[in-house]
Amino acid sequence: MLRIIVDSIIRGWKQLARRPIYVCMMVIVPLVSAWFFFDLMETGVVERTPVGMVDLDKSDLSRKLTRNLNSLQQVSIDKTYATYNEAIDAVQRGEIYGFFFIPSDFSRKALSNQKPTLSYYINYAYYAPASMQYKGFKTLTVLANAGIVQNVLTTLGMRGEQISATLQPILTHVHPLKNPWLSYNYYLSASFVPCLLALLVMLITCFSIGMEWHAGTSRNWMRTAGNSITLATFTKLFPHTFIFLCVGLWIQYMMYVNYGFPLNCNPWHMISAMALLIVACQGFALFICSLVPNFRYSTTICTLLGMLSFSFCGFSLPEEAMYSWVAPIGYLMPIKYYFLIYADQALNGLDLYYSRYYYVALILYAVLPFTMLWKLKRHCIHPFYIP
Amino acid sequence: MEEQKERRSWLTSVAQVFSREFKMVLRDEAVIIFFIVLSLVYPPLYSLIYNTETVHNEPVVVVDDSRSALSREFTRKLDATSSVWIKDHATNMEQARDMMARKQCYGIVYFPDDFERSIHQGEHGHVTLYCDMSVMMRYKAMLTALTDVQMEMCTQLQGDKTAHIINMSGGIVESKQVPLGNTAMGIASAVLPFILVFVLQQGMIMGISMLHAGSMGRRRRNQGIDRYEVRALPGATILGRTIAHLVFYVIPVVFALYIIPLIFKFPVNGNLLEILIMAFPFLMASSFFGQAVRVFVNNREGVFLIIAFTSVYFVFLVGASWPQFLMAPYWKTLASIIPGYWGATAYIRMQVMGASLAQVDNLFGAMWVLAAVWFVIAYLIELLVLRPRYRAMQLKAELDPDALRKQVLYEQGDDDLLNPEILHEE
Repeated sequence: MLRIIVDSIIRGWKQLARRPIYVCMMVIVPLVSAWFFFDLMETGVVERTPVGMVDLDKSDLSRKLTRNLNSLQQVSIDKTYATYNEAIDAVQRGEIYGFFFIPSDFSRKALSNQKPTLSYYINYAYYAPASMQYKGFKTLTVLANAGIVQNVLTTLGMRGEQISATLQPILTHVHPLKNPWLSYNYYLSASFVPCLLALLVMLITCFSIGMEWHAGTSRNWMRTAGNSITLATFTKLFPHTFIFLCVGLWIQYMMYVNYGFPLNCNPWHMISAMALLIVACQGFALFICSLVPNFRYSTTICTLLGMLSFSFCGFSLPEEAMYSWVAPIGYLMPIKYYFLIYADQALNGLDLYYSRYYYVALILYAVLPFTMLWKLKRHCIHPFYIP
Repeated sequence: MEEQKERRSWLTSVAQVFSREFKMVLRDEAVIIFFIVLSLVYPPLYSLIYNTETVHNEPVVVVDDSRSALSREFTRKLDATSSVWIKDHATNMEQARDMMARKQCYGIVYFPDDFERSIHQGEHGHVTLYCDMSVMMRYKAMLTALTDVQMEMCTQLQGDKTAHIINMSGGIVESKQVPLGNTAMGIASAVLPFILVFVLQQGMIMGISMLHAGSMGRRRRNQGIDRYEVRALPGATILGRTIAHLVFYVIPVVFALYIIPLIFKFPVNGNLLEILIMAFPFLMASSFFGQAVRVFVNNREGVFLIIAFTSVYFVFLVGASWPQFLMAPYWKTLASIIPGYWGATAYIRMQVMGASLAQVDNLFGAMWVLAAVWFVIAYLIELLVLRPRYRAMQLKAELDPDALRKQVLYEQGDDDLLNPEILHEE
C-alpha cells in the first residue's frame, strides 16, 4: 500500500517537473500577474487627468478660473483651444479627456445679474478619469460661487464662520471605511489578482486531468494509484495544492506587506482563506471534470466561468446593481466567497462570525467532487478522447 | 521571364495555403467556435452582465439622533434619488454597523442630535456618511446622492437669507456637465467597447493556436509529418493563412463592432465602413500576432490554459480601467505591441467619440506598422523555430518510430510504459 502511495506521488511530481507549462502557469504567471496589477496602479488615485480649456470670454474673471482649475489635483490643463470644435477634435484624437468651456458672454452676464453657465465636456469612454474630472470641475464652480458671495458678505460685515454657515448650512462628512485614500489599487487588485489565481488553479486542474485522457495514460494513472480514484486524485492534485499555496501566500505577502494593502484582521484569517480558495477551486474543477469527462468541454466550462467571474462576481459593478438573475450566478464560483471574506476580514476587520458561511462554502467546494468521482474513475478506466 | 514565373508560383502557393487553411477551419468545430461563435456569444453575455450600467437604489441605513423635521426631510430627499434607497432606520450606530456587517446595507447616514438646532442658530449642521469600500461604484453612488441632496437643501435653506445678496453680487454661476460619447455615463458603455475588440483578437489567436496544436497532434501521431501541410515558403504560408482568417472574420467584425452596440444601446457614433477599414489592419496584425504566439501551444486544450487569461492583462493595458497616462513607460511599451491596443483605441474614438477615420490616421498607420512587425516576427518564428522543430520531430521518428509517443509518456510521468511491450498495448 505504501509502495502504491509513494509511486503515485512520484508520478504526480514527475508530471509537474517534465512539462514546462506547469511551472510557467503555476508559478511564473501568477506572480508576474500580481506584480503587474500592483505596479500598474501603484499611484492608487487617478490624478492630473489631461484636460483642455476653451475660454471664449478672455476676461480677468475667466483667467482666474483657469488658474484655479490648474491648482486642483484632479486635472491638469495641458492645452487651450480657440474654439469648441477644436476642443472636440482634440478629445476625438485622444489628446485630452475633456475640457472646460467658458462662454463669450460669461463675465458680461456675471456682472449684469444674469446667471452665466460654465460647461464641462467629459469623455465618459474612460470611466475613472471621467469621474475625477467631474469632481474637479464641480469643485471649481462651487469655489467660484463661494468666492463671489463671500466677497459680498464680507463687505456687509459678516464674520468668516457666519459666512460659511450661511453659504453651506449643511456640511457633509464622508468616511470611505478603511480605504480613506480611495485607492484604486487596494480596491481593484484585491479582487482581480486572486480571481486570476483562481482561474489558473481551475485550468491547471482540468489540464492535468484532461492530459491523462489526451495522452492515453489515464489507465496507467489509475493503475499506479492501485485503482483508487481518491488516491489518484489526491496524489495528482496535492502537489498542485502545495505549489499554489506557496504562490498564493507569496502574493498575499506582496499585497499586505510590500504594497501595504489594508489588512485589518488576524493574518491567519486571510491565509486560511487563501488555502481554502485553492482547494475549493481544485474541487470545483475536479467536479466539472467528473461531471463532464471530456477534456475540451470541461476546460471550456472552467475557462468561461473563470473569465466571467471577473464580471459577475461583482468586483466592479456591485451585485445589487445587476439584473436579479445575473447576481446569483456569482455565488457559483469559489472566488466570490474569497472576495466576501476579503471584504469582511482584511478590509473591514469584522468579527469572524460574520464571515462564517463563506468559509463553510469554500470547504463545501473542496468536498463537492467526492460525489462525482465514481464517474471520473469510470471514464479513466474506459477512456475515449474526442480530438 | 524567370522572375515572373517564380512570382506566379509564389502567388499560387499563397492560394494553395489559403484554400487549405480555409478547409481546415471549416473542418474543425473548435476553431469555428473561436473564430465565429465566440464573437457572437461572448459580447451579448458580457453586455447582459453590465447592462444595468449604473448603481440604482443602493441600500443605506439611517441613524437619526436629531429626529427633527430637517433630518427627516434630508432622509426623504436621499431616498428619492435614483442611486440611494433608505432601507431602514437604526436606533444607534452599533445596530447600524451590525446591519452593514450582515450586508443588509452598504452605507450608514448619521445625523447628530444638534443637526437642526445648529442650522437654526446659524451654524453648520453636520451629516456623516460611512460607506463600504469593497466596491468603488457603491461609494460613488452614495457620494453623488449625498452631495446632490446637500446642495439642494443648502440652496433651499439659504433661500430668502441670501437671495438679495446674490443678486447684489451680480448673479451666481451655474454649471452643467456634458458627457461626451458615453452619454449614459454607464459602466457597460465604457467597458464593453474595449471587450468587443479584444474578443475578436483573442478569438483569432485562440483559433490559430488551435489549428497549430491540431497540426502538432497529427505530427506526433504520424512520425512528425502533417499530411495536411502545404509545402510553401514561410512568407507565402503566413500570408495565405491570414487571408483565410480574414475571410472568416467578416461577419464577426460587423456583428461585434456594430450590431452588438446597436442591440444593447451602446454609443454608435461611427461610420460602419470606416470602422471596417480601420479593422482591416487590426485583424491582419492579430492574425500575424497569433501565428507568432502559437509557438507556445502544443496541445489543443493548452490553448485555454495559455491564451484565455491574457485578455485580462490586455483589457487593463489599454486603459479600460486604469488610465494609460498614469502607467509606467514599460507598461505603455508593452501595450503598444498588442494589436488590440491600437484596435480598441481607434474603435473607441470612432464608435464612442464619433471620430472619423482621418482623425485616427495616426492609429491607422501604427496598425499597419504593427502588422508588418508581427509579420516579420511570425516569419522568423516559422523559419527559425517551427520548421526546425518539425524536422527534428521527423528525424527523431526516423531513428525510433516510437520516439514521439515515448516523449508524451515521459512527460506524463509514465516511465514504466516506455517498456516496448506495454507501449504497443496502449
